Amino acid sequence: MRTGIEVVQIDTDVLIIGGGLAGCMAAIKASEYGVKVTIAEKANTLSSGCAGTGVDHAWAYIPLIHEQMGWTIEDLIEDHTQLIARGFINKDLLRLVARENYDRMLDLEKFGVKIRYEDSQIPGKFRIVHQFHTMPSSFNFDGYDLKIKLTREAKRRGVDIVNRVMMVALLVTDGQAAGALGVGTNDGRLYSFQAKTFVMSTGRANRLTPSVTGVWGNHRIPVNETGDGRAMAFRAGLPVINMEFLSSGYYSIGNYELNLGSPRNTVQPAAAVTDADGETIVPRTQFYDWPNLGKEKVDATLNRQKMLSGGRNARPSYAQLYRQGEGPFYLDLTGGTEEEIKYIEWSIRNEGKGSLFLDYLKNQEGFDFRKDRLEWLPNSREMAGTAASGLVVNNDLESEVRGLFGAGDDVGGVPWAGAPGAFTMGWRAGERAAKEARAQQDYLPVNADSVESLKESCSGMLASKNGRHWREVEMAVQNVVDYYAGEVRAEKTLRRGLERLDNIKKNASFRAENPHELMRCLEVQSIIDNAGMVLNASLERRESRHMPFGFLRADFPEQNDKEWLAFLALRKKEEKLEFSRIPIKQ
Amino acid sequence: MFNPVIFNKDVCTGCNICVDVCLMGILEASTEKGKPPIVKYPDECAYDGACWMQCPQREKGAIKIVPPLPMRVSILRGEKP
Repeated sequence: MRTGIEVVQIDTDVLIIGGGLAGCMAAIKASEYGVKVTIAEKANTLSSGCAGTGVDHAWAYIPLIHEQMGWTIEDLIEDHTQLIARGFINKDLLRLVARENYDRMLDLEKFGVKIRYEDSQIPGKFRIVHQFHTMPSSFNFDGYDLKIKLTREAKRRGVDIVNRVMMVALLVTDGQAAGALGVGTNDGRLYSFQAKTFVMSTGRANRLTPSVTGVWGNHRIPVNETGDGRAMAFRAGLPVINMEFLSSGYYSIGNYELNLGSPRNTVQPAAAVTDADGETIVPRTQFYDWPNLGKEKVDATLNRQKMLSGGRNARPSYAQLYRQGEGPFYLDLTGGTEEEIKYIEWSIRNEGKGSLFLDYLKNQEGFDFRKDRLEWLPNSREMAGTAASGLVVNNDLESEVRGLFGAGDDVGGVPWAGAPGAFTMGWRAGERAAKEARAQQDYLPVNADSVESLKESCSGMLASKNGRHWREVEMAVQNVVDYYAGEVRAEKTLRRGLERLDNIKKNASFRAENPHELMRCLEVQSIIDNAGMVLNASLERRESRHMPFGFLRADFPEQNDKEWLAFLALRKKEEKLEFSRIPIKQ
Repeated sequence: MFNPVIFNKDVCTGCNICVDVCLMGILEASTEKGKPPIVKYPDECAYDGACWMQCPQREKGAIKIVPPLPMRVSILRGEKP
């Protein structure tokens, strides 16, 4: 066995695990309280997380506009609760996002992000579009370099950023977070952090099923987000919710998984969906009538009822239409004006992989939105945005382990929180973590065995000649999840899936040629833990939860709100699983 | 398997910013100063384009990302408007 993995000891006040949007916002806010703040990031904060190469929209309550409409903050909250979450939501956390994201957008502006436009007719010179809600409430902004700007701001404030360290273990002492361990993905060293408080913000659990094109890495959500945060929390005995909601693939632009709100799915105007003959499947959207803002007060309740009953913006199930022989479908912007097409291209360029995608589309395919149409094809499966999975936290984002906060996509229970969720939860978690760190005198002791045991397992993989390549194990896990936690699930098949996952675990002795491959092996370990949670939670939820959740149990076909309108939490207790139901406040 | 990232060695200055920002850590700096990086793990590309976006020589064509055939979009071509 190779020995002598060097251990780097880093002591800080607030350790932020994962430097995406939420992590960077937490670090920036925490730095205001005179504490030492450190971000541990698996890749590089300049490009990591769901907004690594941009995010261009974020919903908010915008007083300047919404007060004129007569649309209240409670209307926004009700829209989100009813239209997006169907009541399946932690409303207290939603309220935090709804109340505070406008202020966070103004903070982003201070950090150099452009959110106002000279040609805008909208108060504040903002660009505001429809997204999920009955009224336009999403800022559209220049977000392609947001992570570069947030990194710069964090550094300016003295935040220490440790890039290329994958965190794998959270150390808890007497019910309080005390330390965390990671592995250097370039240098192969073991990083042992001591901190007074912690923010968990590693993002979503991806790579649980194969990509729809078969090209590894072609997922909507960044593929290095392997649910490391919830895996760490789960191993440390914390509860994780909503893991059963692994959804079927949606439809979006082409085979190129974009990580952007594609035209007609979310924000942009002018986009229609048509069939091969040019017949309209979904009519085109329009810009809001801004010159007439405030002329008529909105009836929020009526608008919600209309939308719930299938009015404006209702999306059909393309999968179902396909099964009826009604494909192929095309994203159709050919009816758009020059202004609209320019707007859409600007919007695409600012989000997700859109910048590169647009360049590819124009320069490698010679595509023109004015005349050409793009086929609408299925996406890879992913953890559902409609029932966000993750950690259980209170209104101050603190978990049941004292000193451990959650933020962004690592927090469960706030569907489609997205960028606004990351901005607001990150900010609040950073503030709370800093204040608590300041109040705490000393570090808690950590169990020295955990460092030794990680050292041993990493050395084992690096020294192994006969272990398996990470990709071999990953494929096996993905196939099990895809088949047994598929579109329709049932007790017997789920149990078989768990048996097979156990069998994979027994055979999963890894080999790693270098620190890069070691990272991938550790990612697959996260994937295995997440896969186990998906299968176990699917088995425990003995009901079906229909659209938009798409959770179907063949043996429990009815939705049972009386017993199951609750978040299902699972946790490890003395090597056994324990389930509990967290009632949802209506 | 695929060759997702193509450098133009006549334009690339070997600054290695792309190596730093690569989400997946698939690039490795060349041992020769001023030369383009090596694409060490081409089949772990995430096609997010961070390397391309942050390349200081992008406009001059130092770096090109080429999606493999299964990822290329399906287009219905129309008439010139």
